[in-house]
Amino acid sequence: MKTRWSCGERTPPGKPGAKGEGGADVILAIETSCDETAAALIDGEGRLRANVVSSQAELHARFGGVVPEVASRRHLELIVPVISEALDEAGVTFDQLDSVAVTQGPGLIGALLVGLSAAKAIAWSRGLPLIPVDHLLGHVSALYLDPVRLEPPFLCLLTSGGHTLLLDVQEHTSFRLLGTTLDDAAGEAFDKGARLLGLGYPGGAALDRLAQGGDASAYSFPIARLDGLDFSFSGLKTALLYEVRGLEHGELERRRADLAASYQHAIVRALVERTLQAAEKIGARQIAVAGGVAANSELREAFSSAALAPIELCTDNAAMIASAARYLKPIQPPGYLDLDAYASRQLA
Amino acid sequence: MLTLAFDTATPRSSCALLRDGDLLGERETKAAAVLAAADALLAGAGQVAADLDRIVCGVGPGSFTGIRIGLAVARGLALAIDLPVAGVSTLAALQEGAPGSLPVIDGSRKEVFTLTGGEPAVIRPEDLKPAPGTLCVGSGAVRYRAVLEAAGADVPPDSSELHLVRARFHAGLAGEFGPAELVEPLYLRIPDAEKALER
Ligand SMILES: [Zn+2]
Repeated sequence: MKTRWSCGERTPPGKPGAKGEGGADVILAIETSCDETAAALIDGEGRLRANVVSSQAELHARFGGVVPEVASRRHLELIVPVISEALDEAGVTFDQLDSVAVTQGPGLIGALLVGLSAAKAIAWSRGLPLIPVDHLLGHVSALYLDPVRLEPPFLCLLTSGGHTLLLDVQEHTSFRLLGTTLDDAAGEAFDKGARLLGLGYPGGAALDRLAQGGDASAYSFPIARLDGLDFSFSGLKTALLYEVRGLEHGELERRRADLAASYQHAIVRALVERTLQAAEKIGARQIAVAGGVAANSELREAFSSAALAPIELCTDNAAMIASAARYLKPIQPPGYLDLDAYASRQLA
Repeated sequence: MLTLAFDTATPRSSCALLRDGDLLGERETKAAAVLAAADALLAGAGQVAADLDRIVCGVGPGSFTGIRIGLAVARGLALAIDLPVAGVSTLAALQEGAPGSLPVIDGSRKEVFTLTGGEPAVIRPEDLKPAPGTLCVGSGAVRYRAVLEAAGADVPPDSSELHLVRARFHAGLAGEFGPAELVEPLYLRIPDAEKALER
């Protein structure tokens, strides 16, 4: 069953929540849902004034994946330096802020709470409103920024390490879920494939680079064709595992590029096929792609006629949270002081 | 001198407002709502956040997430309204509320956070071995009452105020005030993933 799902109160479509006197609203946005500590400043015209992202990827590489407790500890160390850097870069002081936006969920709860606590403290102590933002709506909202400047309605493929979603976006503040992955997210499939090929973690980008020197038709990996508009990537990962295991000792090195290219091609084909099916089904005139996997070169090429989130705004960042916040209704103090984070959200 | 003190390391978190050492009010709260408590205390005193002069924050030990909520709030406040911060051990504040006692905070995983030789430590309650007649207070003392009493320690009734961390005691214990980033969390445990790597 599909349900309409809304992020907070709505402002008239297409109109960012404007301040009374027509002054430009300057928003400080904070994002700490996973392993990037990020802060951004945006002005009333939707221009990014700063976009600071401190990645913890290296910190988690030795664990082969994001460790929530390690991530949360690092967020606490980085949160103030990252916010300060964003303010400095934008040349904005606390006096010039109109509101504070922050990711409320979904994500790692301990990680989210660091950003949310800092955001509430900053907003409350300056007497400013707070705008809690859904992380997924944030990814979609990266498309509203320069240079894409997309406007709803559109069909959005949101694909990252945590999500693979097909969304019917009719307005800035909400979307309707059309399809999702039943097992791994596409980004997870990339990372798991990279690990099998000995590329370390996170390996999505390394796999992309390796694939560029390989033959995508060397191996034929299966694509799950489920009823409806859902995805499945777990069979693909298993197929790669068997191919790698079946190689003679020492042969992996020679076949790695071909395996990477064929594996990537299968993921991209699955994403493209499903997205086109969804577009046809709802009669979408515009397709858009956002999320970390949208940085993949083959995916960008396959979707060259779609609206693509800028590469630097594909992986987690606070600019997308600031962008989403422009359309959401701010909560005035003290209404947000007991706000809690949420780890997951029932989408359908 | 208006001081806001809070400790969010334990499930029953606490927030207090003091003027020149005199308690204006204190509230029990959940960690994520500590600023709602602070707002109510300030409103009761006819003040706003911008009137604050300094912050005292409990640094743990206790719930990792709780400790981080407190420190993130302290650092956010310090950054936005330029306040000095002092950190106080949650164990020290608990002990201050029950003079002469041994503070024992539930550390989950069948362990407690306490003081051994005056230093914060995480140990199994069976290994605590308090001297007979020692008054043990805190969530860990309540949870492991049987073990501690068997060792000869005294544990007040479960409902006793003595088991609760109260932020007014942090304010009294605060030493030097300085930049918020110098106030560090007291976790006492490294993440499990790090432990696994060390093996
Ligand atoms: Zn994300």
